Amino acid sequence: MRTRRLVSLALVVTIIVLARVVFSGQSPNAGADTNEPAKNWTAPRTPDGQPDLQGMWTNYTATPFEVFDESDTPGLYVGDPDGSARGTGPGFLNDTSDRTLTKGRSLVVDPPTGRVPIMSWAEQRRTFKLTHIQDHWENHTAWERCITRGVPGGLFPAGYGSGYQILQGPGYVSIVYEMIHEARLIPLDGRPHIGKSIRTWNGDSRGRWEGNTLVVDITNYNDKGSIATNAATQRVRAIPQSEDLHVVERFTRVDENTINYEATIEDPKVFTAPWTVAIPLHREPDYQIFEYACHEGNLGLPNTLSAGRARDKAGPSPGTR
Amino acid sequence: MQNWLKGASIALASVAITLAVSRAVQDPAAGQTPDVIVLRTADGKPDLSGIWQALGTAHWNLQDHQARTGPVLELGATFAVPAGLGVVEGNEIPYQPWAAAKQKENYDNWLTRDPEVKCYLPGLPRATYMPYPFQILQTGSNDILVAYEYASASRVIKMGKAEPPPVDTWMGQSVGRWEGDTLIVDVTGFNDQTWFDRAGNFHSEALHLVERFTPAGPDRLDYQATIEDPKVFTRPWTMQVPLYRRHDAHVQLLEFKCVEFVEELMYGHLRKKTGDEKPFGTARLRWP
Repeated sequence: MRTRRLVSLALVVTIIVLARVVFSGQSPNAGADTNEPAKNWTAPRTPDGQPDLQGMWTNYTATPFEVFDESDTPGLYVGDPDGSARGTGPGFLNDTSDRTLTKGRSLVVDPPTGRVPIMSWAEQRRTFKLTHIQDHWENHTAWERCITRGVPGGLFPAGYGSGYQILQGPGYVSIVYEMIHEARLIPLDGRPHIGKSIRTWNGDSRGRWEGNTLVVDITNYNDKGSIATNAATQRVRAIPQSEDLHVVERFTRVDENTINYEATIEDPKVFTAPWTVAIPLHREPDYQIFEYACHEGNLGLPNTLSAGRARDKAGPSPGTR
Repeated sequence: MQNWLKGASIALASVAITLAVSRAVQDPAAGQTPDVIVLRTADGKPDLSGIWQALGTAHWNLQDHQARTGPVLELGATFAVPAGLGVVEGNEIPYQPWAAAKQKENYDNWLTRDPEVKCYLPGLPRATYMPYPFQILQTGSNDILVAYEYASASRVIKMGKAEPPPVDTWMGQSVGRWEGDTLIVDVTGFNDQTWFDRAGNFHSEALHLVERFTPAGPDRLDYQATIEDPKVFTRPWTMQVPLYRRHDAHVQLLEFKCVEFVEELMYGHLRKKTGDEKPFGTARLRWP
């Protein structure tokens, strides 16, 4: 008898919950985004009614992060000294040989100049850090420290280790990032962000479905990370982030093999205006994620520091890099 | 009546946490314990989704251990080691003689040898009973995600068949299957770098782990891990650790990216000295 009553009670709750999930999946905001799915393709659904983003995805691209400007300092672009290959495509790193890469103008799609509106203090800060990596681990990006590539930075091109497995279950979308083995759990139940006093490297993610688009709102960042960590992000690598950073990500599956990913970045202490990056994720069912045990084998960081101390002993020499 | 209310509120809370469970409660099938309430997914499998944590002190020592002073004198009672009953069946870990000696050496050199001190990936089964929550997400693709708060460790349990693991790793390769209401996970492909606890219990790269997650109610999972490693032990051995669902308001996995907390420890001697460094206190180590 007790069990029977529990069954009915739980069923009622479940029906309410299910109804809410299904309803939000058919939200009238469906037309609000510009990423309409292909006309002859029906977006699949997960068993609990979410648009289905599940599977193995990669984001290799030959498109440069920003539009090149003559004023850029080539020395900051590790692996890209001559400016000939500004994306992550052939000529940048070697993990792209069997992929056909598209090359567009820039991954930065807004502002229309394709340039990130970075405040000059932030550029100076970045340049100082990048030229003093032998002094302190805090001058390295969080990626080199094996902490995180960040959010949204973890979905910016890296050149290798660019596998992403998306998994969905009732109430959650989860993204498993190959690089630094991060599993990001994005709750969809409309709960508020955590308290302001909890600051984090990757921010606090809250997701919702707007039609077929997963919209993720991220706040609660600390001011220790950087918005981008890899050379493939060119001038933007190691640009600091503040606690005011606010990111909105949009994931839209537009056909069987493509998710359009967009991130709008707002940080009034670092950028003069919000800016948006758009990167397609390509389905690669056979791609295998390998464990990226980064910190456990991080020799680059201590070796860089010990080289600095050896240089200190040897006396002053030209250049600090 | 009160018991009924209590049961009902537990069921409600569980449903709210796991969302959209199509058949929250089922009549027990023949042969099952009649009083065990098992949450189920839409396809009738037990629904293990949620945030779980072990209580107890298995993370300090898998075997019986008495209370003990902490390693740092100045921390007094706050970081002393609580006593605990062992979780190993029979309380004996069947080491080969050389391995028993090595375990003792590990115990005596805990701070310099334990990979947890350096924020390294925890390996398994250790990640399960560390004093941090972890989240299980059962997904529409059948695969099961397990995300651990400690060090942002995670694993995807692939359901069904899998190729042999291509390389040795810290977290191993997890392949799962259902046997009745028990999720059985076969884990291989480990390296020899991880430990089982803070008492120096260890394994080799030949470790073969079989985990069994069995629901013992909506809020308790019985976790059983059988360890087989012919290079280190004389026979397979088993531990049992109950896992409890976290019901704290708004509970979610938070960030514990501990790399940041060990950089000074690991790289401090390589930092450029500016003369402005705040000196460290004079904490005294009692052990190891």
